[in-house]
Amino acid sequence: MSTRVQILLVIGFAAAVIYPWLVPNYLITVGMLMFFSAFIGQAWNVSGGFAGQTSFGHAVFFGTGAYTSTILQVTHGWNPWLSWAAAMAMGALVGCLIAMLAFRAGLRGSYFALITLAFAEVFRILANSVGFTRGGLGMLIKADARPENLQFRDPVWPYYLAFALCLISLFIAWRLTRSRFGARLIAIRENEDAARALGIDVFAEKVKVLTLSGAMCAAGGTFYAQKYLYVDPTIAFGIDKSVEMLLVTMVGGAGTIFGPLIGAIALTGINEITRWAAGVIPALKNVQPLSLIVYGIMLMLIVARLPDGLMSLFARKARRNA
Amino acid sequence: MAKKQKFPVSRRGFIAGSGVLAAGTMGFPLIGGAQAKSVKVGIIHPVTGFVAFAGSQGRMGATMAVEDINKAGGIKSMGGAKLEPLFGDSQSKVEVGVAEVEKMNEQGVAAYIGCYQSPVGIAASQAASKYGTPFLIDVGASDLIVSRGLKNVFRLKPGFGACVDQGIDLLSSLNKSANNVAKSAVIVHESSEFGTGTAKLLAGKLPGINIAVKEVIAHDNPTRNFDNIALRIRSLQPDLVMMSNYQDEYTLLARTLYQQKVNVAGFFSILGGGFNYKFVQAMPDVSQYMMDVNHWYNPKSAKAQEMKKRVVATGALFTFEVYLAYTVVSLLADALEHAGSADKEKLTAALNASTFVPELMPYGPTKFVNGQNQGGRPGVMQAIKGDILLVAPDDVAEAKAVFPKPKL
Repeated sequence: MSTRVQILLVIGFAAAVIYPWLVPNYLITVGMLMFFSAFIGQAWNVSGGFAGQTSFGHAVFFGTGAYTSTILQVTHGWNPWLSWAAAMAMGALVGCLIAMLAFRAGLRGSYFALITLAFAEVFRILANSVGFTRGGLGMLIKADARPENLQFRDPVWPYYLAFALCLISLFIAWRLTRSRFGARLIAIRENEDAARALGIDVFAEKVKVLTLSGAMCAAGGTFYAQKYLYVDPTIAFGIDKSVEMLLVTMVGGAGTIFGPLIGAIALTGINEITRWAAGVIPALKNVQPLSLIVYGIMLMLIVARLPDGLMSLFARKARRNA
Repeated sequence: MAKKQKFPVSRRGFIAGSGVLAAGTMGFPLIGGAQAKSVKVGIIHPVTGFVAFAGSQGRMGATMAVEDINKAGGIKSMGGAKLEPLFGDSQSKVEVGVAEVEKMNEQGVAAYIGCYQSPVGIAASQAASKYGTPFLIDVGASDLIVSRGLKNVFRLKPGFGACVDQGIDLLSSLNKSANNVAKSAVIVHESSEFGTGTAKLLAGKLPGINIAVKEVIAHDNPTRNFDNIALRIRSLQPDLVMMSNYQDEYTLLARTLYQQKVNVAGFFSILGGGFNYKFVQAMPDVSQYMMDVNHWYNPKSAKAQEMKKRVVATGALFTFEVYLAYTVVSLLADALEHAGSADKEKLTAALNASTFVPELMPYGPTKFVNGQNQGGRPGVMQAIKGDILLVAPDDVAEAKAVFPKPKL
C-alpha cells in the first residue's frame, strides 16, 4: 500500500469519526445507512466477490439474523447483545447448510445464484407461515432505548456501530487478500477446475466462505432489527436486501477491499442528493421517481463504462501513474 | 504564444465560485423563512414503489387541505400562521421513511402525517417519538401502531380490529335477514401485516356468526396472476369470498374470480384496497354487488360532496386516501388552533383533548384514547351498477344492501 493511499485512509478514518459531531441528525442517519449498506455489501463480497460465488439470495442470511435475534429477545427474553451473537451463529449455520447442499450437488455460476434466490424465497414463505415468527404480522421489538438493550436514543451511536461493523468487514476483506484462505478463494473464482487440480479442497473452501458470509450478513440483520424495531417476512427475506448487497458491491467493485464501501457511498449519495433535489428544486418537485431514474442511469453507465466497478477508476489511475 | 484556455475560469475558481453560490442559495430561503410565519408539517407517503398510486392520492388530499386552510387565513390563534408542507417519499421502505423523519426534524416540523403502509408508519412514528413530535396516521390499518404506548401517535381512522368487528356485525345481520344463506367462507389476503392481521381476526370471528372458514389463502405483493387462487376457491365452493388486499391485487383477484365464474352469495372485503370508483366504473360487471368494509366519506355531507366534485374535476379519483389525508391535516390545524402554538408538548396535549368534528367522514367528534380515535367508524359499501353506495351505518346509508347477490 503506497504512502499516498495510507494518508488517504487515515484522513478518511478521521473524517468518519468526527463526521457525526459536525452534521445534523439526518445526515448522521444517512452516514449510518451508508456504512450499514457497505457492511452487508462486504458480507456479499466475501463470497460473491472474492470467491466468485454469485448469490441472488443473501437476504436469507440477513433475515435469519434479524429473526433469530428478535425471536430470542422478544419471545425468550434474551439480552439483545447475546441474541446478536446467536444470530450470527445461526446465520453461519444456515450459510454452511446451504453451501453443503448446493455445492455437494455441484451447483455453480447462475445455478448457484438461482438456488440462493430460491432459499431466500422459501425462508420468506416459511416466516410468513409459521407461528413463532407471527407470520405476516411481523415482530415488534419493544422500544427501550438503553445501550444494554442495543437501542440508542442518540443517532450517533448507531452510526458508530455501523462504522465499526464496516471497519470489521474491511479488515476481513483485507485479511482475505493477505491470507492463504483468500488466495485459495481467488483461485477458485478464477478457475475452479484448475484450483482443484492444484490440490485445493474446493468444496470445503466454498462452504467455509459461505459460512463466514452468512454470519456477517446475519449480524447486519440484527443491526437492522434493533435500529427499526420491527421485522416482517418481506423486510427480512425480501429481494430488496439481496439486490442492495449485490448492487453496492457491483457498483463499487466486486472482489476488492473497498468496493462495497465506495459503492455504498456512491449509491447512498446519489439517492440522497436526488431526493434532496426533488424536494428543493421547484422544477423537480413533481418528478417523484427522480432518484430511481438517476439510480438506473448511473447503473447503466457503470455497467457499460466501468464493468469492474468504481474501484477500477483508481486502478486505472494507479496504472497511469506507474 | 500562451496556450488558449478552453474555459475562462480555472477548475479551482469554478469550485470556489460554486461553493459561494451554493451557500448563498441555501442560505437565502433561511432568511426568507424567518420573514414568513409558518408551521412546518412533514407529510410522508410512498409516492414511489408498489403502492405509489395510493401514496400519491394521500399526498393530493394533504395538499388540498393545506391549500384550503391557508386560503382561509391559516391558524388564527397563531396570528394567521400558514401551514408549510414538507413532502417526503418513503419509497415503500422502512429505512427511507425513518430517514425522512430525521430529515424533516432537522427542518423543524411541528408534526408528521403518514405513512400508508403500517410497517413504515410503525418505524417512522417510533423515530418521531424520540423528538416528542406528534405523528398523525392518516392511513395505516395495523393496530400495532397504537398499541405501543407511544404518546406522540394519533390515528383518526379505525384500525383493522374495529373494521372487522363492524364488518362481522353487518354480515351477521345481512345473513340472518337472508335466511342464513352464507354458511362458509374463504378468506384471501395479502401477506403483510395488514392483510394477515385482518384475516386472522376474521378467521377467529366468522365461526361466531355460524360461518365456517373453509380456507385462508395468503398471497404476496405484488401478485400478477390469481388463476390458481380463483380455481382453488371455485373448487372449495364457499358461500362467501372475503378479501383483504392492496389496490392492484384486489382488482386482479376480483376480475379473475369473475372470469373463472366463481359463483358465491357475496364478495365481502375488509379494507379492500381496490374497492374504489376506478374499479367499479372500469369493471361494472365484475364489481356488481361486491361489498367492502372500509373508510368512506359521509355522502350526506355537503362539504364531502363538494370535495368529491373538486377531485373528480381534476381527473383524479376520490379515494379514501384523499379524504383521510385531508381530514387528518384539518385535525392537525384544529389542534394547532387550540394549542395556539406549534410547541410539541402543547400540540400533543391539544390532540389528546381534541373534539374535532371530521365533516367529511361519518365520524363523531374525536376522542383519543391511547392515540386511537374512538369516534371513528368504517362504512360498508356496495358496488351497484358502476357506482358505490354506502349501505351502513344506517344513519348515513344511501341504499339497502343486496344480499345474497344474484347468481352469475
